[in-house]
Amino acid sequence: MNDDRFDELLRQAAQDYHRPPATPRDELWARIAAARAGRRRTIARSPVLRWGVGIAAVLALGIAIGRWSAPGSPEASRVPAPSDRASTFVYQLAAAQYLARTEALLTGFRSETHAGAPMTQLSAQARDLLCTTRLMLDSPAAQDVRLKSLLEDLELVLAQVAQLTPRGDREDVRLINQGLEQRSVLLRLRTTSPAGSGSARTQGAL
Amino acid sequence: MDERELIARICAGDGAAERALYDAHVDRIYRLVYRLAGDDDLAREFTQDTFVRAFERLRGFRGEAKLSTWLHAIATSVTLNGLRKVKRLRLREADLDDAATLSGAGRRAEPDLKRRLAEAIDALADGYRTVFVMHDVEGYTHEEIGATLGIESGTSKAQLSRARAKLRDALSDFAGEWAS
Repeated sequence: MNDDRFDELLRQAAQDYHRPPATPRDELWARIAAARAGRRRTIARSPVLRWGVGIAAVLALGIAIGRWSAPGSPEASRVPAPSDRASTFVYQLAAAQYLARTEALLTGFRSETHAGAPMTQLSAQARDLLCTTRLMLDSPAAQDVRLKSLLEDLELVLAQVAQLTPRGDREDVRLINQGLEQRSVLLRLRTTSPAGSGSARTQGAL
Repeated sequence: MDERELIARICAGDGAAERALYDAHVDRIYRLVYRLAGDDDLAREFTQDTFVRAFERLRGFRGEAKLSTWLHAIATSVTLNGLRKVKRLRLREADLDDAATLSGAGRRAEPDLKRRLAEAIDALADGYRTVFVMHDVEGYTHEEIGATLGIESGTSKAQLSRARAKLRDALSDFAGEWAS
């Protein structure tokens, strides 16, 4: 049999490769709407982040005015652009908030799984944080190698928690806890987060 | 409504326009993502991520490519990155459990040819597999594949040719059966 004939038969046989079911349009749309609403809520409910953005904008404006009004000097060219510093500041604030929420979730996960409590609320929170994790991975915050490595591990753990059934399959829960321990995720979370409670941390940063 | 108008309406906060964009593209995106992921939960998650990111970034869409190409580029990027992470996680779990292998474990009940073909496709490198699935399974043109993956259409043709050659090798013992 020649190659063309073989390729044709291959194409026909390959139609069964991961054959998709009908698109669950409405369900997917509901998930997309929920994820976007969750993201908007996270931003809207975070007064610290709103303050951070406002203060960063003021700082950026102040630095820009200062640079514009100051006489030119060779030193000026070595100073990072004000917008870069401002956005770095905002990302640091967002990262501190996010790490505090994730630490709270994973600490809660460990204690609730030991108590055998339902997973519904934790899974919903994990989905919300998963979305934020991916945004953080795409943001300049992920330029920090240590934070990026932590974010990648958190993405995996949060994806696992988000997919747990309400009763939480024991084997899945065991694997998640094992992963948390093997990768020292909680310890790294705590050492990466600034000291203090969640909101206090970012207030301190401000 | 043309694409430019649709995008302008979405950027102005028109929910019906968002749904219209979604309805126009979700079937092809979901089919492709499912073919690449091979798992319903992952396909749903990656499709969701694709549209969430697309709506977030739509203001930055400059119209240099067709909207469908831009969406497919996001979808393939989300899917291939997501699959790499899932693979890493599964390998880690396999290490922990000292399990022998994971690939193909769910296919033991399938007929031999189907199973072997699926395993051979799974074993292709990401680039070959993506081009093969897009072209031979889902019917995309080389121009569409090139624009989606950011490669020349000639590269897409070359990768398809190599993918088919690898599959021919992997399935050579079925040649006689197919010829009959």
